[in-house]
Amino acid sequence: MEGFTYRDVNQEILRTLSPARKPYYLLVALLFLTVVYAASCWAYQILTGMGVAGVMHPVNWGIYLVNFVFWVGIAHSGTLISAILYLLRARWRTSIARSAEAMTVFAVMIAGLFPFIHLGRVWIFYWIIPYPNQRNLWPNFQSPLVFDMIAISTYLTVSFLFWYTGMIPDLAAVRDRTTGLRQKVYRILSLGWIGSHHQWRHYTGAYLLFAALATPLVISVHSVVSWDFALSIVPGWHSTIFAPYFVAGAIHSGLAMVLTLLIPLRRIFRFEKFITMETLESIAKTIIFTGLIVGYAYGVEFFIAWYSGNMAERDTFIWRAIGHYAYAFWIMVVCNSIVPLAFFFKRLRTRISSLLVVSIFVNIGMWYERFVIIVGSMAHEYNPYSWGYYSPTWIELSIMAGSFCLFLFLFFLFVKFLPSVSITEIKESLRPPMREKSKA
Amino acid sequence: MSGASKPGILGIFPYLDDLLRALKHLKSSGIPVHTVFSPTPRHEIQEILGLKPSPVRFFTLVGGTLGVAAGISLASYAHLQWEFVTGGKPVLAWIPFVIVGFEFTILFGVLFTLGALLFKSRLPKLRLPNYYDPRFSGDRFGVFVSCSDSERERTRKVLKENGAEEVHDVV
Repeated sequence: MEGFTYRDVNQEILRTLSPARKPYYLLVALLFLTVVYAASCWAYQILTGMGVAGVMHPVNWGIYLVNFVFWVGIAHSGTLISAILYLLRARWRTSIARSAEAMTVFAVMIAGLFPFIHLGRVWIFYWIIPYPNQRNLWPNFQSPLVFDMIAISTYLTVSFLFWYTGMIPDLAAVRDRTTGLRQKVYRILSLGWIGSHHQWRHYTGAYLLFAALATPLVISVHSVVSWDFALSIVPGWHSTIFAPYFVAGAIHSGLAMVLTLLIPLRRIFRFEKFITMETLESIAKTIIFTGLIVGYAYGVEFFIAWYSGNMAERDTFIWRAIGHYAYAFWIMVVCNSIVPLAFFFKRLRTRISSLLVVSIFVNIGMWYERFVIIVGSMAHEYNPYSWGYYSPTWIELSIMAGSFCLFLFLFFLFVKFLPSVSITEIKESLRPPMREKSKA
Repeated sequence: MSGASKPGILGIFPYLDDLLRALKHLKSSGIPVHTVFSPTPRHEIQEILGLKPSPVRFFTLVGGTLGVAAGISLASYAHLQWEFVTGGKPVLAWIPFVIVGFEFTILFGVLFTLGALLFKSRLPKLRLPNYYDPRFSGDRFGVFVSCSDSERERTRKVLKENGAEEVHDVV
């Protein structure tokens, strides 16, 4: 960003909020229609019953929960980039933190929908909320499902507030450069921010604390999700490595999704000066790191299955590799652990096409990882007479497609109505305007 | 803190070093600075004005402490009400409650931090003060000095001499 002034930063970022052209609205309308279609599928499921989904004994957790874990995972990179890398003072995060945070908020919202979709009687979902009631029934606070409800709702609240608070000074910049109704809306959203020294003083203090609180939270959330599985005794789930394994996997998939979304964004908005090749390369390097961790975790799972001498565990893992769902297992291994190794070559991690292709492979691989863990383990538990297969129905596949469209729909609205790169943080990374040029 | 309208003098600066010099002169001349505007947070401004770190962190500590207490108390209360033994564990099973306590710590800590930020920054506010200039969210710095008529000339002079590109009377 050499040679950029504060004024250039405002202009470059705020021009992305100018009225969009027809293709944008067409695409947004198409995504919205798909979301409406998926919502009507859910309504059909509620009216008809869970029989319209493919979940049935022994596989009672189908792709609704695969998608739940997948979207929670996607949500992790936003907080990693905005909070953990902020605390580590990794400067390459600056230009991508805002959109990664937005991704986090939308992904958690969508993840939070799936347990509801999975519920047979969704209209009594509030039974899990602890409140005094005439039945004197309380949720069981020893249950990982209750941990999950608390962790996910905390994560949604915190990630939304972190994202929104970070955006307040930028919303004020938009307010100051718009007129009419738009200005009124941004005036409300920016809460009356004026950039005074009092406000900056409290803001910087609060932002650092947000980052410090969000960091352990992000690690705890996917650990808690992993305990949904690890605290049961199902072979393939009952494992002590699940928490770090899930957290690394979540970051792996989240970073891949950041690449998948930012590469087109960078091209469309001509953000090459902000989201530099160095930034994309740093994400790619982190993907190598997380890919190696998940690859190691896959290996350790097999080793423990053999070393523990537990027959059910060993059989589950052999079945994973050569049984009915072997295709899913090998897609998982290849996409998550082998394909990202391409980034060891500088030529591949500094080329847009290879970055995009690998990121899509990792997204697919991470979805399959959750499929292998959830469906693969339930389909092949202890007793051979209760083994069985599962395949998703068109209702489940439609709702899954709807979730991806909802994610893209929200992201498309975000990039057109809110500053997708942080104006304040980009300015902070520049040399401030000085009369005496030699001064930093 | 910034009120909706206040009489005084507003100086607008294109350069940070000029602004810092003006602030030092205002301070040494005994003219109290009301508000300094900048497009980004600048620690130099806080240092010259002699401000201590924000007290928001104390609210975070209180929030976090209340959070852990609330989480563990809620879980304990619920289990004592129900008295349902699961998994052969005691009714008050502390280890799982740590997770509930942890999540509540973060949640309350963040909510208290946000509350403190809004409270200390006097937000939200729909009307902007009359001495605010939209360029402060762009590329300009500003100093607003709330002063009586007798001090106006002296303040104006300090601001002009130190590189203010515009000096306005705010009435």
